[in-house]
Amino acid sequence: MRTNIRKKINWKRQGVAYLFLLPFFIVFTIACWYPMCKTIVYSFQRVNIMGFQEWAGLNNYLRMLKNPLFCTAWKNVLVFVLLSLILGALVPIILAIIINEMRRLTSLFQTIVYLPALIPVSVGLIVWRQIYAPNEGILNSLLKLVGIPPQLWLQDPTLVKPAIIIVMTWFGAGGTTLIYLSALREIPLELYEAAELDGFSVFKRIRHITLPYISSRIKILVVMQIIFVSQVFTEPFILTGGGPGNATRTPAIVIYETAFSMNDFGLAAAWSVSILVILGVFSFLYVWWSQKEQQGEF
Amino acid sequence: MSSPVNRGVMSNTEWRTRGGRLVGLFYLLILILVSICVLFPYLFSFTAGLKTSSEIYKGGIHLFPEEWNWGNYVEAWNRFDMVKMFLNSIIAAGGGVLGQVIVSTLAAYSISRLKPVGTRVIVTLIFVTLGVPVMAYLIPRYIIMTDLPLIHVSLVNNFLGLWLPYSCSPFMILVLINSFDAIPKEIFEAAQLDGASDLGMFLKIALPLSRSIIYTLGFMALVTLWGDFLWPYLILRSPELQPVSVRLYTLTRLAPRNLFLAASFIAMVPPTIAACFIVRKIKGGLTL
Repeated sequence: MRTNIRKKINWKRQGVAYLFLLPFFIVFTIACWYPMCKTIVYSFQRVNIMGFQEWAGLNNYLRMLKNPLFCTAWKNVLVFVLLSLILGALVPIILAIIINEMRRLTSLFQTIVYLPALIPVSVGLIVWRQIYAPNEGILNSLLKLVGIPPQLWLQDPTLVKPAIIIVMTWFGAGGTTLIYLSALREIPLELYEAAELDGFSVFKRIRHITLPYISSRIKILVVMQIIFVSQVFTEPFILTGGGPGNATRTPAIVIYETAFSMNDFGLAAAWSVSILVILGVFSFLYVWWSQKEQQGEF
Repeated sequence: MSSPVNRGVMSNTEWRTRGGRLVGLFYLLILILVSICVLFPYLFSFTAGLKTSSEIYKGGIHLFPEEWNWGNYVEAWNRFDMVKMFLNSIIAAGGGVLGQVIVSTLAAYSISRLKPVGTRVIVTLIFVTLGVPVMAYLIPRYIIMTDLPLIHVSLVNNFLGLWLPYSCSPFMILVLINSFDAIPKEIFEAAQLDGASDLGMFLKIALPLSRSIIYTLGFMALVTLWGDFLWPYLILRSPELQPVSVRLYTLTRLAPRNLFLAASFIAMVPPTIAACFIVRKIKGGLTL
């Protein structure tokens, strides 16, 4: 048996196959796989910018878990994720259904909604920081017209998280809307016709035809959103720097600060492993579902 | 009826009823409201960029400036050397996309067509890479870039330090494997009989037949890499090398508010123009 299989392998062809894979192996090893292994190793070491100092056993993990910041940072992420699911996940679905339903101006609205997804996040955040300015900022002045007193959007610990999620929705909703739109266009229109003849209301048609049809996309995009929001760095980094207090300090920001301000790469690696462990379930679901989706797609 | 069904959730006749018109009006209202919210930061940065340095710090609703200082835009453009900034972005993101496309198409072709020994292991590795959050290995990756193993070269302040990780896209490889798998085997077999080499078939059959998906993936990668912040912020420390996303952020600490808002608006223009051309093209093709 064994020799049979061996005979079938055409070594010249295998050489060509691996030659094609060579750039892939090189870049993935240097930029992904080696760093991944290094994270695990670092998390058991005392390391700083000068390099390896000594083995630390579980010391980094103990220091991470004993620090109250561990709970705070992950609680912040939990709130961010929940808020983004409430505020952010529904918006693209609703927008896609409405845009798809319009008979005119479809591509205009599609383009407008997609615009923020194309600009660099940091550039948009520079502008949003001014919009959220305290006291006489533009947002506060506009709200004053409706009789709402001025708020400290980025300085108030309760307001700052929704404020950041609103900005993230502003950036992200457009791209997601386009993905839903392409899914909506695959729905056989005969289904709606039949439902209409059976006397189903518009709302019922959306509930029983549209939503079930795009449910697999919704599943994947929600999981992607959870993974994406859990790693959020740039938005709090530029808007608040993790403050006020620790209200927007996410694990990603802690990792950055631990490594580059405190020069403690071992502890930063322990935090990285915590991201890996806590997001592991969602990553698994994402990979599994998107694999299923793609096999059905193409 | 032989004519294809042309309708949405509501049929065209339903649209014309009173209830349908009301729903339509409601939809339009929502879309207009959303559009205003989406476009507001654009308008805000545009007009704030026109204001004088004393007016910009005035509170209240001064959406439109007292006098239109177009000079601010010229000053921002020259003072911040925005040509350089955009060039850096083009080099960083463009090189990254090119690397990503080259690495991914070659790997996907090999896995799809040449069936290397250990394909299963390789595909599993790709899925693992897709699943592991980048944040979980960013710091070690940075340290590796400061001192590459074996050759001990630092890629800090070097575009290679950007292109190397930018070239890794497990997502692109997986989509391309599916795309190459979908090409009928007969086409390759016919070419093989004509004596085509694997490189020839890769360049003349696999790539052209997957052109549209490669363009879509490339465009999506370009958008992501153009806006990337943390990695170039770590790798490109010298201001002359920094792309728009990083340089503008560092400038906000030094420059007056009206000037950096003018610069921000300028930075928003090219992606906006791109959007107008691109949205229609990728209408059907934007999948996961």
